[in-house]
Order: sequence, then structure tokens, then C-alpha cells
Amino acid sequence: MSTQPASPVIQIENLEAFYGKGAKRLHALKGISFQVHPGECVGFIGANGAGKSTTLKILMGFRFPDAGSAYVFGEPAGAASSRERIGYLPEVALYYPFMKARELLELYGGLSGLSRSQLKERIPALLDDVGLTGRGDDLLKTFSKGMQQRLGIAQSLIAHPDVLIYDELSSGLDPMGRHDLREILHRLKAEGRTVFFSSHELGEVESLCDRVIMIHQGNILRDGCLEDLKAECGQRSLEEFYIQTLQEESQA
Amino acid sequence: MRTLGQIFLVAKGVWLEAIRRREIYVIVAVSCLFILALAQFRFFGLETLNKFYREVALKIMGGASGLTVIVLGARQLPREFESRTIYPLLARPIRRWTFLVGKQLGVAGAGAFCLGLFLCLYVLGCLMIGVDLYPTLLLQHTLLQICMLLILTSLCFLLSVVVSFDAAVAMGFLYFVVSSVFANLYLVMYESTAGLARGVIVALTWLTPQLILFDLSEKNVHGDVWPALEAGVIFQLVIYAAVFTMIHLTGTLWIFRRKSL
Repeated sequence: MSTQPASPVIQIENLEAFYGKGAKRLHALKGISFQVHPGECVGFIGANGAGKSTTLKILMGFRFPDAGSAYVFGEPAGAASSRERIGYLPEVALYYPFMKARELLELYGGLSGLSRSQLKERIPALLDDVGLTGRGDDLLKTFSKGMQQRLGIAQSLIAHPDVLIYDELSSGLDPMGRHDLREILHRLKAEGRTVFFSSHELGEVESLCDRVIMIHQGNILRDGCLEDLKAECGQRSLEEFYIQTLQEESQA
Repeated sequence: MRTLGQIFLVAKGVWLEAIRRREIYVIVAVSCLFILALAQFRFFGLETLNKFYREVALKIMGGASGLTVIVLGARQLPREFESRTIYPLLARPIRRWTFLVGKQLGVAGAGAFCLGLFLCLYVLGCLMIGVDLYPTLLLQHTLLQICMLLILTSLCFLLSVVVSFDAAVAMGFLYFVVSSVFANLYLVMYESTAGLARGVIVALTWLTPQLILFDLSEKNVHGDVWPALEAGVIFQLVIYAAVFTMIHLTGTLWIFRRKSL
């Protein structure tokens, strides 16, 4: 008896995106394609300006592709029904400075359809998880960048999402924050959630991911199982693999 | 039901902002001070200035409420874009029109709250100096001012997705101030023109919201000779406000939906 492969959580086909117009037009994504399957933890790596954030923005419906298609849970990227199952952390997380942490989580949880009683139960537990115990009634203007990032992680988890899409995973976090975040992601992975994130911290990607997608100047350079990719290049770490791949690409 | 809840949550965010940011307090506090100060004329023996009190206090009410929604309304969308707070918000299962209607409710609601506060002070002032209130006219004026705030809020949203925040505030404020001047100017020009020029005047009158229609302050000042408006007129004005609000919001949504964030 053969089992049907689970349909992909994320499906991107020949995705193209441009910035600007005329002579200054930049081809940010040059027809990339990949899929992310349920339960996978996939790292999306690449240099600054490679096209990572653009891809994630298209997945969230924040910008529109110029060609190709993107689907999340089989729905066109940006559909409200698919966003219900996504936990998203933006690249630069800034939150309303006039709100308290608890109020912000109530806002996002409420928009995701959580009831007051659910929020009352969920918010203190989430704040504990991200290391913001007892800070629920503090105004966000008093939060440091790292604390805002922790809160960003909390908001992404508030509605028990099936897939987490994180842009620059640990940006602004101190070593303890990174450790806590890794713990959270390991737990979510063990629960079978799908995680797709971009990061410049290759050690972090290596410790969390089953699979890595490497993007460079709008093209997918490598896509595969972490161990296979490292073995292919005869390298011991993802960082060595990354640097070698980019050097080969620049020589080609 | 869920959409209504989302609209309310977005509006609640605007109210929190209005409460916790100081600039709105300044507008409200200064206006309250003016209204209460005006009511003290009797102390200086100026008992014949009752009409002056009504006129100035009602103008301050309208002006300060209008200014509140212009400042709040023009900054809602640009600030969401600039500070990138829009990302985690729109990452929720909320549609852009729901978000926009929530903002509209929030800003117009904050303006209406200020108007209500000023109204209480105005009534208090009238009672203090023993001035007739003409309650029906006053309620009609308040209702129509709320309609005006709805138009003004949606106009500021539209301006803010077309031009910068500063320009949107300036243009919104300018329109708010000069629209009544232009309305009077249109009347004069209509009488003195003919043919195509007159057509242009008529078109301009219909294409731009005539905020002066929502100002019954003069009627309230001379409430002893002016009767209250008929219900049918009020209904037509409410529809008129709803149509312009819808046009502005539709325009804003049209641009907002196509905007890459």
C-alpha cells in the first residue's frame, strides 16, 4: 500500500520579482521554485539582497509577484484563510510603543480569532516562554530591541500556528535570547510544526534545520538536506559550505 | 461576527494611541479651556455677549474635533508603513478593508469622543451663563458634525496613501478650513457665470464634499429664529456623508490593496 505524499505547506513556482523601473530595474527574484513540506524545518540562507525577504513578503501577501506563483496550504499566498495558520516574524520587528506587551498580544490574538479566556490563559505562558515574565504590563517604548524581538516571537506563536515563517530569525537577540529561541523552535519541531526561516546565523541554521535552501542574486543555488549538502562539498560546517559555494559562484 | 470583532480591535488600537499620546491632549485641553473661559464673560460684566459665546464655543468644538481627526487620521497608515507595524498586523487573518474600516472607526470615534466632551462643556457653559440651548438644533449639529468627522477621516486616509504624512495633514487641514470659504465662493460664482463655467462650478460642488452643510452653529446661535431641520434633510445629509466616506475609503483601499509593503 503506497502512501500519498503530504501536500506541501509552501509551494513556490517560477517566482519572479522586480524592484524599481526603467534602467534601474532590479531583478530581485529570477524564477525561483521550491516546496516546503509539513513538519520540515527549512533554513533560507543567502547574502544581503539575495531575495530572502522578498520571497517571504510574497508568501505573506505583503507584495505581489511579477511572475510565477506562491501558495501556502494550497491557497494563493496572502489569502486570509492561509494566514490563519501562519506565525510570522518580520525582519525588523517594531511594535506600537504606546501599547503594553499584554495589549499587543491581545490585539494579535484577537485578530486571529482567540477568545478572551483563551488569551488570558495563553499570554502569561507565552511571555514566560520568551523570557518576558512579569513584563506584560510594561509599555513597549520601554522595551529594548532584544525584548521587542522576544515579543515578536511571542506574537508569532499566539494562535498556535501550523507553520512559522521567520525573517531573520534571531536578529537583535542576545546569546540567552538565541538559546531560548532555539529551545522554543526545537519544541515546535518536535510537535510537528513546519518552520521556514531566513537567517545569517549559519550555526543556528545548522543546529535547527533538516534542510537548507541557498539563494544568491535571485536564484536558488542549492536546495537539499543539510548533511547531503555538506558532504557534497566535503565540508564540515554549513559556514564552510556557504563560503565555498559563493566562491565557486563568483568564479563561474 | 469575527470581522466586526477585528474592526473593533483595530479601532481600539487607535483609541489607545489617542489616549496615550500627548498631542491630542493638547488640542482637547486648550479647546476645553477656551470654552470654559468664554463662559466667564459674565464675570467681566459682558452679559450681552451670549450669542458670541455660543458662536465661538461651537466653532471651537468643530475646529478642535476636526483637527483631532486630521492629525490622527493622516498618520495612521504612513506610520504603520514606516514603523513596519503593518507586517505583524496584516500577517493575521484580517483583510485590508477590515483593517481600514477599523482605523476609520477608531479615528472618527476619537473625534466624536472629543466632540462629546466639548459638547458637555458647552452645555455646562450655557447653563452657567443662563443661555438658551435649543437642544434639538444642538443635537442635530452634533450628529452632523460626527458625519463631517467621518468624511474628514476618510479624506485624510486617502490623502495619506497618495502623499506624505506631512502633506496629508497640511492638505487635510487646508481643506477643512477653506471648504466653507469655497462653498460661499461657489455660490457667488454660480450667480455670476453661465454655460460651461457654471457647469464647472456645479461639478466642483458635487465632486468635493461640502463640509459647510454639516455646520449648524449659526442656526444654534440664532436658534430663537431658526427652527430645527426636518428629519428628511438630516437623513439626506447622513446619506451624503456616507457616500463621500465610502468614495474616500474605496479610493484608499484601491491604492492600499495594490501597495507592496
